Formats: sequence, C-alpha cells, structure tokens
Amino acid sequence: MGNFFSSMFDRLLGAEKELRILILGLDGAGKTTILYRLQIGEVITTKPTIGFNVETLNYKNLKLNVWDLGGQTSIRPYWRCYYANTAAVIFVVDSTDKDRMNIASKELHLMLQEEELQDSALLVFANKQDQPGALSASEVSKELNLAELKDRSWSIVASSAIKGEGITEGLDWLIDVIKEEQM
Amino acid sequence: MGVDKKIKKFLRDAIRVAPKISNKGELFELRNGLVSQYPQTRKDAIRKIIQQMTSGKDVSSLFPDVLKNIATQDIEQKKLVYLYVANYAETHPELCILVVNTFVSDAADPNPLIRSMAIRTMSMIRVDKILEYIEIPLRKTLVDDNPYVRRTAVLCVAKLFQLNPDLCRELGVLNDLQDALSDDNPMVVANALAALHEINELDPGSIDIKKLVSQNVKRFLNVLNECTEWARITILESLSEHKPIDPMESQEIIDRVVPHLQHVNPSVVLISVKCILIHLPNLNTVHDSIYNKLSTALVSLMSTPVEIQYVALRNIRIILDAFPNLLRKELRIFYVKFNDPLYVKIEKLDILLRLVPVDNLKHCQMLFNELKEYAKDFDHEFVTKAIQSISQLAIKVSNGGEDTNNKFLNMVMEEFVSIVQEREEFRDILMRCVCDMLRYDSDNNLIKETSKNELGAIISSWQDIDTIFTSDLGSCNYIWFITNYTNENLETKLEPLVEVFDELGSLTQMSLLMGVVKCHNAVSSAFLQKILELCTTDVHDLDVRDMAMMYWRCLSIDNGDQIINQLFDKHEIPKLHSTLDHFSKETLQSLLQELSTLSSVYFKPISQMQRRPNEVHIIKDKDIDELKGMATNEILKNMNDDVLLDMGDSSATRSTGVLDELNDLFDITGDMGKVNISQKTNNNNNNTSNSHATDLLDLM
Ligand SMILES: Nc1nc2c(ncn2[C@@H]2O[C@H](COP(=O)(O)OP(=O)(O)O)[C@@H](O)[C@H]2O)c(=O)[nH]1
Ligand SMILES: [Mg+2]
Repeated sequence: MGNFFSSMFDRLLGAEKELRILILGLDGAGKTTILYRLQIGEVITTKPTIGFNVETLNYKNLKLNVWDLGGQTSIRPYWRCYYANTAAVIFVVDSTDKDRMNIASKELHLMLQEEELQDSALLVFANKQDQPGALSASEVSKELNLAELKDRSWSIVASSAIKGEGITEGLDWLIDVIKEEQM
Repeated sequence: MGVDKKIKKFLRDAIRVAPKISNKGELFELRNGLVSQYPQTRKDAIRKIIQQMTSGKDVSSLFPDVLKNIATQDIEQKKLVYLYVANYAETHPELCILVVNTFVSDAADPNPLIRSMAIRTMSMIRVDKILEYIEIPLRKTLVDDNPYVRRTAVLCVAKLFQLNPDLCRELGVLNDLQDALSDDNPMVVANALAALHEINELDPGSIDIKKLVSQNVKRFLNVLNECTEWARITILESLSEHKPIDPMESQEIIDRVVPHLQHVNPSVVLISVKCILIHLPNLNTVHDSIYNKLSTALVSLMSTPVEIQYVALRNIRIILDAFPNLLRKELRIFYVKFNDPLYVKIEKLDILLRLVPVDNLKHCQMLFNELKEYAKDFDHEFVTKAIQSISQLAIKVSNGGEDTNNKFLNMVMEEFVSIVQEREEFRDILMRCVCDMLRYDSDNNLIKETSKNELGAIISSWQDIDTIFTSDLGSCNYIWFITNYTNENLETKLEPLVEVFDELGSLTQMSLLMGVVKCHNAVSSAFLQKILELCTTDVHDLDVRDMAMMYWRCLSIDNGDQIINQLFDKHEIPKLHSTLDHFSKETLQSLLQELSTLSSVYFKPISQMQRRPNEVHIIKDKDIDELKGMATNEILKNMNDDVLLDMGDSSATRSTGVLDELNDLFDITGDMGKVNISQKTNNNNNNTSNSHATDLLDLM
C-alpha cells in the first residue's frame, strides 16, 4: 500500500518518471564507454565492469536511467535481475570481434525472449567502426539474425564510441520510438 | 503495431493505478517498489525493507533489487542500501559481484562520506569476490585528501587483516598503516595505532608494535590534546605499554598525561591514572603533588554512575596494593551510601580498610562507628562483610598503629562479645572474626581475660552445634575456639559434630583432629581413638588423613606427649599480622599493566584467564608409570576430542558475550570501540553481521 501511495504522490506532484534503458553486450564491446560518452560527452578510460554503472541523464526533456551492466560470462546470468520496467535495450557489439559474434547473437536472442522485455525497443550499436576490419552494420545485423525479430521495434546503427560517431543518432531513434510507443 | 502496444501499456498502467490487493504478499509489493520508475517510490520501498531487516525479518530475497538502488545521488538512500548490503552480503556471496563496481566508484566519489562508507563496507564483507577488488580503493582512501576518509581507511586495514591477512601482506598496506602514524591528523594517528594494535593481537609476529610506539612517543604526546576521547584512550594505552628509554622520557609522558586526569570521561581518567602509575617508578624523584593529583582523579571517579564506580573501586583496590600512599586523605569518599548497590558497598568496605590511617586513632574510631552502623543493615552479605571488616580493622590498628595500650583492640573485642549474643544469624562470620583476633593476639595476650571468659561462656552455651553453622569456616573456627579457650566437657560439646563426621567439611575435620589431639589429655582415650580412626578412614581430604596418621604415630611413641605439646606450642605457630589479603608480586605487576581492562575487574591477569598450554610442565614431576598412564589417557581423550572441542567452543562464545558486555564499560564511546568488539566476536559468526550493521549505523 505504501508503495502505491507514494507512486500516486509522485504522479500527482508531477514527479518525473524515469525511463529505464539497459546497455547490454559482451565484455569489451564498449558499453561503459558509450554510457559515459552519453553522460559527460567524453571518452573515459574504462576497466572491466564488475557489476554495473548507472547514470541518470536528461535527454530531449526526458529523464533517462541508463544502466550499463558488466558483460563477463560470470555476470551475464544476472542481467535478468535488471529487466523489470525496462523501456529499451541498447545492445552493443564489438564489430571487430568476429569470433564472438555467435555468442553475442545467442545472448541477444536469449535476452529478448524474456517476458519482462517484450515491450522494450532494441537499439544495436555496431561499435568500433573506427577500427580496420570492423564488420559493417548490415554484416553485424546478419550475424545477429536481427531480421528474425518480430513484434519489436529495432534498429542497428554503426558507431564509434571513441570518435563519438553514431551514438546520438542511435539514441535519437530510440527516444522517438519510446515516445511514440510507450508514452 | 505501435497503437497496439500503447493500448496494452495504457491498460496495464490503469490497472496499476487501482489499489490492487496483491495476493503475492508484501515481498512482491516491495520488489515492485524497488524497480519503480519513480525515485521516491524506490526510496520508500528501501526504507520499508530496512525497517523489516532491523526488526529481524529476512528480506534477503530482495538482494538484487535493493542492490540496484545503491547507485544514487541521494546519500540517505545510499546509506540504507549499504546497510542492507553489509547485512546480507555474506548470505549472498555470488550476488556481491554486482556491487563491486559501485563500491569501487563510490570509493572515488567526490563526497568524502561516501568514500568512507564504501571502503568501510568493502573491508568488512567476508566475500572473496569483493576483497579481490579492494586494492585500488583501499590505496586511494589511505592517501585521501580528507582526514575522515583516511582515518576510516586505516581502520579498514585492520578489518581486512582479520578477514584475509595474506592479502594485507601482499598489498603491503601494513606499511601504509605505519606511515599513517605520522599523519597530520590526530584521529588518523590514533586510528592507525589502534589498527596496528589490533593486527598485533591477531598475529603477534606481523609487526613490531613496540618499536613503532617507541619511535612515535613524541608524536602521540603531541596529538593527545586534539584527540577524541576514544583516540586518547588508545594512545594512553599504548603509552602505558611503552618501555621508556630513560627517566626523562617517563617524566615527559607523565607531564603530558597529567592534564587528562581531569577529563570528564571516566575511561580517560582511569587510563591516564594507569599510564602515570606505570611510569612513576621510573622517575628519579617523585613530587608529592603527583600523588595528590592522582588521588583527586580517583576521587572524581566516585561521582560516576554506580557501574562505573564499581569498576573504579576494583581498580583502586589494585592500585592501593602497589601505591598505598594514594588517597590517604580521602577516606570519607568511600563511606557507604545507603542507596549504593551491594556490589559497590562490598568494594567500598574493602577500600576503606586499606585506606584507614592506623596512625590516626580518631579516623580509626570514626570508621569503627561507621562499620558498626553497617553491621545493623538488613542485607546478610553486607553485614557479614561489615563484621569481618571490624575485626580486620582491629587487627590492623593494633598491629601497626599508635594505639600502644591496645584500647582499640579490646574495645572491638567487647563489641564482638555483645554482637555474638545479639546476632546469632551471623555466628559463622563472628566465629571467624573472633578467632582471627585471638590468633593474632595469641603471642601477646593483649586481649583482656574477661572478654575471653565472657566469650567462652557464651559460646560454650550454644546448643545444636551440628546445625547452627552454615559454613565449613564457621564450624572449623568454633572447634578451634572450644579447644583453645574452654576446657570443660570438650567431649560433650564436640560429640554432635563427631556424629556427623562424614558430612563435615575438610576444614572442620582438620580442626577437629587438631583440636582433639592438642587437648588429648583433656579427653578420654576412647574419644581420641575414635577421632583418629575417623580421620584415617572416613575422610575425602588426603591432608586430613596424612595429618591424622602423623599424630597417631607421634602419640604412640614414648615421648609422644612432648612432641605433641611442642607441635602445638603457640610460639611455634607463625603469627598473624594482617587479615587483609594482597596480590602476589607477579599478579600485582600484571594487574597494574592491565588496569582499566576486564582483568582489573576480575582481579585476574589476562594470562590467567586463558587456558594455558603449560599443563605439560606438571608431567615433569610424575614418574614413568604415571606418564604411561597419562599417555594412554591422552590418546583415549583425543578420540573424543571432537565432542570436547565443541563444548569448549560454545562456552568460549558465551564468555566472550559477557566480556563484550563488560567491555562496553571501558570503551565508552567512539566507533573504534565497535571494532574492538567485532574483533572479539570474530569466531562468532552469528554476531558478525550484526556488528557490521552497527558499524554502518555509526557512520550515519
Ligand atoms: N577503437 C575503439 N575502441 C573502443 C570503442 N568503444 C570502446 N572501445 C574500447 O574498448 C575497450 C572496452 O570498452 P568498455 O567500454 O570498457 O567495454 P564494456 O566492457 O562493454 O563496458 C576499451 O579499451 C575502450 O576504450 C570504439 O568505438 N572504438
Ligand atoms: Mg563495462
């Protein structure tokens, strides 16, 4: 009951609702770099994320709660703890990491099967485009079998977190979809 | 498709707005609150969860969802989540992996409170996954700009050492700790010192604490004034353990510590007293003024709550044994107040007797009057102690005082003659006191014959002597009195006791044996024979039996009579000088060193409290056959060791509980007090999580 009332108050007082966005992907894909690129507009030096980072950012009059979850094999099982009330998932792929494309694909589809994520939009970043030998967005899309996705708004954007390319474009698309579908 | 989804969403929200009675119960609702899109709702849920946690409910299943809320700008919420994590981390070690990143980044947060909270929590969670990542945050916080963070970090080193000493060594943070002793901030210095002490206790070989202290005496003295109470206690304790290089250093320590005798916190006062007392003997010259100051400080402890008074009194008792000059003029402060609890009263009596100046008859007389009043109290134990004190006072005055014509001794004896008549319920202690005084007087005959005769008449008239005494000491003294101061009808008087011989305590048995042998000419040979037989067959105490054998042999040889008389010649018996007990020199030395600790309350040095491994030495005196037997027993015992060890553990835990409780008396305030305590409960896993919780609460 307490929860119910406090959420009532939140609404009555016009407290801003936060949109929860998850950044997922294998370790080393560039999730943390993307999060802080969004948050402070700079490239930070990252260490493997043991656990998660979460930042709140205001974007186009929306309050976004962006979660960057660690991508190590040992942490992936806990991703699901974070699915509740998620508006969108940003899945980051290291486009140079061809060996693990199939693992990335498997994790992606596994995740999308979750009940709690049925309504979430999906944005895939084919990251590290600045690197020689990086697969293009459409190649990554193929590797990930994105075409198979049904009943979901999704998009794949070529990006370089280091250079700051593609990130805002991707996010703009995502916000538009969320606005249209969920608000 | 978009429209579809919007409708679905709308419906779901609408349902949520309606107050729905959840059938999945409270936990389900709390979980919903935790993942809400509204910050206030999440915070409310967390509050509620912490409430449930502190009231003892198990809300650990919400761990992952609570954890999500740890990353927040809201400090209050962060504290609550930290509290939760600290409490449940050990039950969810696998989930702790999710929190590492937050700990590490919080340890670099711009807010020093958050930095401290992060490192503090990290260092006390007994989960490898977390300790694995502690290096960077720990190093960072150890050299933090903010002294509050640094002082937390140094304590964390000690906690970490407790959890994983190898890791501590590997990281080399013990060196950082030693460096912290030269920090600018007094609290950091004190905490570093405390941490080093704790580490030294956990593993005595790991650091050379003595050397570290002696290198830093000047620093400690300098920061002493700026420290919190707790930090002062830590530093003063270290200074007390420090062996000074020369009298100068002791003098310096004393000079700097003296002002702290006036502190409001009794713990600080007591530890300052200790520090000064320990360094006092090193001085070449001691001014009287220092004794006055120490006395004043001890007197100030008598205006504290009774529990602390009790601790103070126990400590004073030890101090007086070593420094009888102290408190000379402060007799009155120890007079018993009617509303003192019994345990305080008893201690006060003890102190009064030690303090009373025998060279001032007026004071002795005053104390005597006071004690007579106490003896009219209704509490049996207190009256017993008061009566005993009266006889002790008489002996003390007569033995060392100016009362050359022994008026005092006789006055007290006369008093006893009347008490013995009036207070029959105190026969046991009265017999003991009267006999003590007579034994003290045996050589000098200072006590008037009339008193002895009166006593003899009263005591001889007592009936039912096999039931009127409640203690071994009472009846044993009765026999001593009867056999020494009355001669008629000995057999009739003793017969009731002889009849219940095997129920008598060994002191009484011994007394009976010696009394009858001494008076062997005044009793029939049949009676003597009977006593000797009883004492050689029906006794449990081997001393009684051996003694009886010896007497029997003496009596059966030609000049036996002569030998016996010689044995009982009162000039041969060592004279009783005082009935006040004193600590042995070694015990006193350890107790002084342990003043204001628990051992001072128990009058038992720490070394005697623990099970000592030197039982082996006893074996040296035994012969080979016995050794063989012992070896067999040992092997048999080892087979049952599991069970024995278990029992040992549980009782050890129980006693630590009591120790901790009492320890609170000493560690009056401060967050480090908790560290000490949690260190003590470290084998007691049930307690650790609780103490983590209190640790964290402290921060808030
Ligand atoms: N060249 C290149 N390197 C990147 C890019 N994004 C991330 N990185 C690097 O990839 C490494 C892993 O990045 P990180 O954000 O920690 O990955 P995470 O494990 O997904 O969080 C870091 O060394 C980043 O600097 C990118 O777009 N281009
Ligand atoms: Mg990362």
